[in-house]
Amino acid sequence: MSKLAKLRSRFSLKNTVVHRVKERVRIRRGPMAPPFELEYRHIFVLPTIFGWGFGLMLLAMALGGLNFNNNMALMLVFLLGTITQLTTFIAYRNLNGLKIENVYAEPVFCEEIAHFLVFISNGNDRQRFAVQAGIDKPTDCADFILNKQEVMNLTCTTTKRGWLDLSSFRLETRFPLGLFKAWSWIFPHCRCLVYPKPARNAPPLPRIGEGHTGQAKKGDGEQVYGLRKYYPGDSKQRIAWRASARHDKLYSMEMEAPVEEACELDWNLLQENDAELRLSILTAWVIAADHKQLDYSLNLPGKYLPAGNGAPQLSACLEALALFDTGNSIHANTV
Amino acid sequence: MKTLSTRDLKRNAILWVIIALSVTTIPHFIDMPAILIPITLVPIAWRLLAEFRNWKPMPLIFRVFATVVAVSVLVVTYGGLMGRRAAVSLLVMMLALKLLETFSIRDARIVASLCLFLCATQFLFSQRFAMVFYIVACLLSTLIALMYLHRQEAYLPIHEAPDTGRSMFTELGFGLRLLLLAFPIGLTMFLLFPRWSSPLWGVPEAALDARSGLSNSMTPGSIQNLFMDDSPAFRATFQGSVPNNVFMYWRGPVFWDFDGQTWQSSYLSRNLPAETKPSLADAQFRYEIQMEPTEQHWIFALDYPAMVPKGTRLTMDYQLVSRRSITQLRIYPMASDPAFQDSPELKNTLLRAALETPVGYNPRTAQMMSEWRAETSSDAEIIRRALAYFNQEEFHYTLNPPLLSRHTVDEFLFETRRGFCEHYASAFTIMMRMAGIPARVVTGYQGGWYSGIGSYVLVRQSDAHAWSEVWIKGTGWTRIDPTAAVAPDRVEQGAMNSLAERRHLLDFEWLMSARNTLDLLQRGWNNWVIAFGADAQSRLFTIFGWGIFDSARLIIAMMSIIMVAGTAIFLLLPFFFRFRAAREQDAVLKLWQKFIRKLEKAGFTAKPSMGPIELGTLAGAQLEFAANRIEQITELYIRCRYSKNTDGREKLTELVRDFKPQTAA
Repeated sequence: MSKLAKLRSRFSLKNTVVHRVKERVRIRRGPMAPPFELEYRHIFVLPTIFGWGFGLMLLAMALGGLNFNNNMALMLVFLLGTITQLTTFIAYRNLNGLKIENVYAEPVFCEEIAHFLVFISNGNDRQRFAVQAGIDKPTDCADFILNKQEVMNLTCTTTKRGWLDLSSFRLETRFPLGLFKAWSWIFPHCRCLVYPKPARNAPPLPRIGEGHTGQAKKGDGEQVYGLRKYYPGDSKQRIAWRASARHDKLYSMEMEAPVEEACELDWNLLQENDAELRLSILTAWVIAADHKQLDYSLNLPGKYLPAGNGAPQLSACLEALALFDTGNSIHANTV
Repeated sequence: MKTLSTRDLKRNAILWVIIALSVTTIPHFIDMPAILIPITLVPIAWRLLAEFRNWKPMPLIFRVFATVVAVSVLVVTYGGLMGRRAAVSLLVMMLALKLLETFSIRDARIVASLCLFLCATQFLFSQRFAMVFYIVACLLSTLIALMYLHRQEAYLPIHEAPDTGRSMFTELGFGLRLLLLAFPIGLTMFLLFPRWSSPLWGVPEAALDARSGLSNSMTPGSIQNLFMDDSPAFRATFQGSVPNNVFMYWRGPVFWDFDGQTWQSSYLSRNLPAETKPSLADAQFRYEIQMEPTEQHWIFALDYPAMVPKGTRLTMDYQLVSRRSITQLRIYPMASDPAFQDSPELKNTLLRAALETPVGYNPRTAQMMSEWRAETSSDAEIIRRALAYFNQEEFHYTLNPPLLSRHTVDEFLFETRRGFCEHYASAFTIMMRMAGIPARVVTGYQGGWYSGIGSYVLVRQSDAHAWSEVWIKGTGWTRIDPTAAVAPDRVEQGAMNSLAERRHLLDFEWLMSARNTLDLLQRGWNNWVIAFGADAQSRLFTIFGWGIFDSARLIIAMMSIIMVAGTAIFLLLPFFFRFRAAREQDAVLKLWQKFIRKLEKAGFTAKPSMGPIELGTLAGAQLEFAANRIEQITELYIRCRYSKNTDGREKLTELVRDFKPQTAA
């Protein structure tokens, strides 16, 4: 976003009004953690731009009809007017009774797109069509048929690591003609963890550390791990002859390679001044180490994660990196 | 960032937009010059092809070129852009041309909405009953197009709408439902919405449904088109007796001046008012006429009109002439006195006008008439002789007469001898004038179709007729119909029955009678819908006892009603929903009370202080044999009443109904 666009969005009347209204709605409605059902007073209806244009056209038609006392034109106008008014009610009914069951987001890396998944169920057997959801603009759309649950995807871009708070999102519908927009703001308590962005050209992994804590890799290797029954096709060199002779049955040796390599990922190894850049490099290292199935430990100022591997280690490390306080107070982001 | 993609607009939506546009445009073709029709159809066809062949939008230069060509053709055809027909044709063409660049949802929406506008403009030209079907077709196709467009717009972020069983028929059914729901409210608004008693701008000059009615001149042989036209000219609803067909002469333009080819009204007859008027008291027939627009000034009445409706005047030859041309359906009361004596004395100027024949025309007729004059003594005898002449010589009544050249009357009387009412009236009048009897031509309609169900007379354009009037001293102007001498059927049974041949390809009797029957609908439509204006509305309000409002007060009243009602509805709606929820709760409570009554019958005394759990336990203890049931019902009742879950209500109803403790005891 350019500076100008930023300024414009800050001073835009629409944004100010929307923000004010949204705040009032939030305060008035009080806590509304999911599960939460949309009711009468949660839903607003306003004409869309197309709706305004359509209304103007109807007005012109009505004026012409009245002036020429043309009753068929008037009848058409009144029918259309009533239909337009009916669509406000239909749009409202399309939202009323929807139940937001849960909102949930998987962690993402910074500058990736965060997906907040909204689980919505249809409170009754009313069919609802083209219900849109989005944080700013609609990013997903779904039909609700019978009592089925739908998952709607709210996307937003991420710019900073840390917690990304979903302060509000909109459910809206322009069903059936697109003339009126019924919408509701939902204020769920949901946040998405944003990991630092992995550095592009990170230095190679520092290979320091003892590997004995690491888990051996089964299969090929130097060390004998155990014996098992011989299967045709096993290499002859692997046959445990002594054991086979003792038991009068063929046994194969199972081998394993001990993980020698492990690494300690240390904040202090890095010389960069920029804390964010250091975090970014550490993130890239963590990912690389995990990819190579190495044991790794993470040492951050004020926080140490002992060596380990696998998914739990990865998410623990990334979370520590994401939430690391560099001292320049990091506020949670809000969308 | 959403990129502008031409594929935003999916096939079904654009197809429905095209259908909506086509449906809306077709009736407009009737009023458009033929050359504009292909110009309208080509862009529509191009867009259809573009959809199926995946063509790209047309380059701007072509679109501009097409628009310039279309507008130029339009300007040349209409001689300018003024006038409603030109404006509406322009709208039709522009909308069709807009399709050339309609590749986005936004553009398609604009086209679909403007289709509705175009639909309304059609009513500037025709408000017939059949247009109801047009409204419905336009509304449905546009609504469906808008629904498809909305659905595509909604699903833009994820590109493809899921298949949730919505088909064309779902949309159609939905559109119909919307229409049906909207109808009662629309109708109420139609009746109550304040109308303007006088227009703010531009009184329509071109007529609605302009038909080739009678014109202000008559050239024998030139109006046979009129006989092909079965559209209604007017309808007359009689109070009391209906005159016999033979006497139903609806008086229209009267012609005095003849130049050898064409009959025209005279300056005098147009501008002199009638000296004596038939008195209303003598009027034998009273009726109301519902006249279709003609773009002309005449209104029609049986001979001799005893009333002069508002905005009209009665000329000295008893034509009723409206000040404004009849561009809208007009309803007026009328009374007629057929026995009225029209000018027993005639002024010299008029006498001269009624005797004038063009010099140098029709020498053979002149010669014959001077012979007759010499042979007979009285005017009456000459008239009789002329009629006998038509009757006995080989004259034929036909709608396809041979063309006449210079001496029209001579050629008709002595050579061709084929023609219809105009020829006979014209020839007869000239004969009379040449014999020295003052005579004039009257045009109008003769007869009509009497509808038994609606008890009214329908007069069609094809009932157009021309006859003569001769002036006889003492008696005044007397109607003579020479056509009756040739084809008596024409007068007795109507124009259709006097013809041997079919007038056109679709001229069947059953079709005609079907159309006659259907006219009842059209008449009701005219009476109740088209003619509904400020007057009818204030009459309606008087029925409700609201008195007569003027427009300003009516508008204020309407606005306050709408505002109060609107506010009330929006304030009360939540209460309504709560009320409904409460009523559902009440149903459960009623079941419970029924259950308690059954318990009491079995001997259990329920105290008001008991809650359901206590009551259930005590009742179970007392009525041991039904303890299981009682427990079950109590539990279910508590669940239904105190949880949001309403599933158990039916089960509870069933249990309470089948609960019979006293019989078990």
